[in-house]
Amino acid sequence: MNSRTYGQAAAPQGRWAGRSPNVDIGLLLIVGLLGIFGLTALYSASDGDSALIQRQAAITGLGLIAMLLVAQLDLRLVQRFAPHIYLGGLALLALVLAFGVEANGARSWLNLPGLPSFQPSELMKFIIPGMLAAYLASQPLPPRFPRILVAGLLVLLPAGLIVLQNDLGTAMLVAMAGFFVLLLAGMSLRLIAFGGLLALLASPVWFLFYAQEHQKNRIRSFIDPYNDPAGAGYNIIQSQIAIGSGGVTGKGFGEGDQSRLDFIPESHTDFIFAVIAEEFGLAGALALLGLFVLLLWRGLRIAVNAGDMFARLLAGGIVLIVFFNVYVNMAMVIGLLPVIGLPLPLISRGGTAIIAFFIGFGLLMSIEADSRKGSVRNR
Amino acid sequence: MTSRWKFRDHEAEGRMFNRRVNLVLFFIFLMLATLVAKLVDLQVMRYEYFAARSDGNRLHVQYVPPERGLIYDRAGALIADNTPVYSLTIVPEEVDDLEATLDYLAGLVSLDADDIETFDDQLRRSRVPYSSVPLRYVLTEEEKYRVAVNGHRMPGVRMEPQLMRHYPFADLTAHAVGYVSHINQQELDALDETEFENYGGTTHIGKTGVERTYEHLLHGQVGYETVEKNNRGRVTRVLERTEAIRGRDIVLHLDYRLQQVAVEALGDYRGAVVAIEPASGGILAMVSKPGFDPNLFVTGISNRDYSALVTDEINTPLFDRSTNPYPPGSTIKPVLGLAGLHFGHIDYEFTIMDPGWFRLPGVSYRWNNWTMRTAIGGGHGETDLRKAIYQSSDTFFYQLGHTMGIDRIHDFMSLFGFGDNLALDINYARTGVLPSRDWKMETRGEPWYPGDTINSSIGQGYMWATPLQLATAAAVIANEGRMVRPRMLKSVAGELWDFPEQDSVPDVLLEDPDYWRYMRDAMTMVVHRPYSNVFRDYGTAYEYTARADPDMNYLLAGKTGTAQVVGIDQSIRSSEDIRVSDLNKDHALFIAFAPAAHPVIAPRIALAVFVENGESGSAVAGPVAKRISDAWLLDILDLDLDVEPAVESSEAGQVGE
Repeated sequence: MNSRTYGQAAAPQGRWAGRSPNVDIGLLLIVGLLGIFGLTALYSASDGDSALIQRQAAITGLGLIAMLLVAQLDLRLVQRFAPHIYLGGLALLALVLAFGVEANGARSWLNLPGLPSFQPSELMKFIIPGMLAAYLASQPLPPRFPRILVAGLLVLLPAGLIVLQNDLGTAMLVAMAGFFVLLLAGMSLRLIAFGGLLALLASPVWFLFYAQEHQKNRIRSFIDPYNDPAGAGYNIIQSQIAIGSGGVTGKGFGEGDQSRLDFIPESHTDFIFAVIAEEFGLAGALALLGLFVLLLWRGLRIAVNAGDMFARLLAGGIVLIVFFNVYVNMAMVIGLLPVIGLPLPLISRGGTAIIAFFIGFGLLMSIEADSRKGSVRNR
Repeated sequence: MTSRWKFRDHEAEGRMFNRRVNLVLFFIFLMLATLVAKLVDLQVMRYEYFAARSDGNRLHVQYVPPERGLIYDRAGALIADNTPVYSLTIVPEEVDDLEATLDYLAGLVSLDADDIETFDDQLRRSRVPYSSVPLRYVLTEEEKYRVAVNGHRMPGVRMEPQLMRHYPFADLTAHAVGYVSHINQQELDALDETEFENYGGTTHIGKTGVERTYEHLLHGQVGYETVEKNNRGRVTRVLERTEAIRGRDIVLHLDYRLQQVAVEALGDYRGAVVAIEPASGGILAMVSKPGFDPNLFVTGISNRDYSALVTDEINTPLFDRSTNPYPPGSTIKPVLGLAGLHFGHIDYEFTIMDPGWFRLPGVSYRWNNWTMRTAIGGGHGETDLRKAIYQSSDTFFYQLGHTMGIDRIHDFMSLFGFGDNLALDINYARTGVLPSRDWKMETRGEPWYPGDTINSSIGQGYMWATPLQLATAAAVIANEGRMVRPRMLKSVAGELWDFPEQDSVPDVLLEDPDYWRYMRDAMTMVVHRPYSNVFRDYGTAYEYTARADPDMNYLLAGKTGTAQVVGIDQSIRSSEDIRVSDLNKDHALFIAFAPAAHPVIAPRIALAVFVENGESGSAVAGPVAKRISDAWLLDILDLDLDVEPAVESSEAGQVGE
């Protein structure tokens, strides 16, 4: 099981009094490259706005530090305190509903005295895998139906609070995070198929009776963007023009006409992949996708090699939610999915989101370190 | 490890986990495949299409409007200029709340209801997205400053520099030179395909006068530039540029100083003056009074200003009196006299006994010498053609007209341009009416009666002529029959303008060329024949022209005319209001040329003066004509009129003509 180890050997000697720092060099390398990729793309998308770049670089640096700190955490502590963290997260979401600040149509920001403003919902993406992994792993797997129901409630509670913040994208991610942990925990495939069928049947009802007008427009323009090319279809049309005109090799760094002339909407955030695909072409887009696949690969290996089910479920949940986020964003930008307001992890401009991702990767490192200890222990 | 964990099969759970990971990997592979396939589709398969769309997004060909040619008068004074002004424009797509922006702007610049209305009109029209819509033209310095300082609070509001037509002499040249104003849809529709292309960037077009007639010279050739625009339509760079070709500068025969003199000479009267250079046909002055400020139309005249202009039914400032017809009265008598001589109905010795009235054989109605309203009554006694001219005997011409008949009157007068528009470049001038049997049958469905001829013989009845036509006739008489078609344009880019059709109208050839001298002398007597012991033997204008200026050092040939007002509404006729009843007064006319009978110098000016409700051709129109003639010959041309005939004998050939 212990196929590859990175970093120093786990021998109980040296200055760290029996502990070497938990650093997964492979993961660090991939994440670092993604950070550089993100800063480069942002530089171009923002037309060299140095203030913006410096802020993003500072946040990325902060994220790296957070990642390395989290990596040093004892996984057992995380497991033990998962319910407390979960409850804390819920409390923050409730606070957001009470005192939250609105930005871009979603009321998801919290301005606590003494802290920079942040989005608790972003943290929930990684609290949910932790909570569910801890809950499900506490009993033999696969989980039985009542436990699945409880797990479902644990997920739906924060997801519902986030829906109330009018941030459907993040709510969906949180729900999916829960689903991924259940899936990896061995939830009955029949049950999943049944749930999927139910969702499929419910979606027209949702569209007809519950969807808001802008959500309907997004779906309509996904089906035919040229129905309203200057309105609802504008974003996706301009995004596709940017990507398509990038060709195989791209227009060159800073030469993306679509982004330079502001035809790409939300080019700093949700549509930054269009900037990359325009300026660096298919080669650049595949390179970025390749980095994310490497991240996925490394993360799943950590999950598979983890010492116990809690670690496996947590690692698997984190990796899948990150990859799912990447996929949804890219698919949306190239027109495979309706426009859903989700940024591209580590690349899009962001604050809490980026820190949250780095915390997730820190947890992965912690799991990796734990599995090595475990394997040492087991031997 | 707690006891609960004892029964767990860790191996089985691990295997299950790995199976689930494999399942997930399978789906992830599918997802990745769709992503890559779509990327290849967009970036490889449809690259050409999207590359073209991208260029189409950013590259725009836009017009570079040419600068309009300038208009100079014959002495080099700038009559129509282009001045840089700043206009306030709005790009509606960039404005969040148009209502609030307009409110805010109203606090910075003066905006009246008309500005807003014009703006709203333009908003409703179809237009290119992200193009700016003008709100106010010609911002003052202070307004410019205020907008510049507060500009950042008003996205979408811009100040755009623009070259705007400017007429420095304002109402002095309003009718003759005309004005440019916004192109309207009809004008755009009237353009053919290449013209339409050429007007792509042009906002203004000549609407009246020279500006309209010479639109094709003044406009120039549109240029193009390929520019890159961002998503808000703002130009980020110019990639390629084909310069516009400036419109051509033109020089008119007009002299603004003479225009000024004419306007001043008319005083408070409404009226018109047309002055022609007999040698060339060039129009030296063409005035219609009152004028208006053509600059108002350039920037888009406000409804208030416009309705002020059109509701003034008495002054009708927009109405061009110089090219619209009036009853010419006695001013046509020289032409009729020449006709009588030419056709042999009369000769120099022919006389009539003028009792002061005329009666057709077998008709009891008496046509009076109707201008003689004095209590003295009676006629002119024994009257030959010369006296009939300088005393303006109606009776003589009643009889001559009756003898000649309308057919000959019509044919002969048409040689002088009556009933037609001979002007080469004033196509909007009216033709008036030179009545004939056919004309009456066509327009009225009635046969010609002998009485109609009698009325026509003194320039009344159906006879209508424009001041421009009268000035042309005066020029032909001054030229002793050489026809010069009137024209505004003198030269273009320093080269005299050659009208191919200028000789298409034949000269007037009389049986005996001496008739011209005879008529010139008779007309000279209108101005210069002094009082004597003989009853009614002075020139009709003598009192007010030659006698009023004892120092007059040249001869002015002229003819007075006093025409009955036709077509005045009965309610106006009977009005007690003095100002309105003034409208019932006769029109005063005068045609003239000078210097007449000069041994060396050929006539340098021929003109027609029309004074609306001026009452007296001799007392009112005559002095106006003399003042204009004085100004042209003495002040502007500064002729040496005292050239001795003795000197002339050796140089006459060159100097004279």
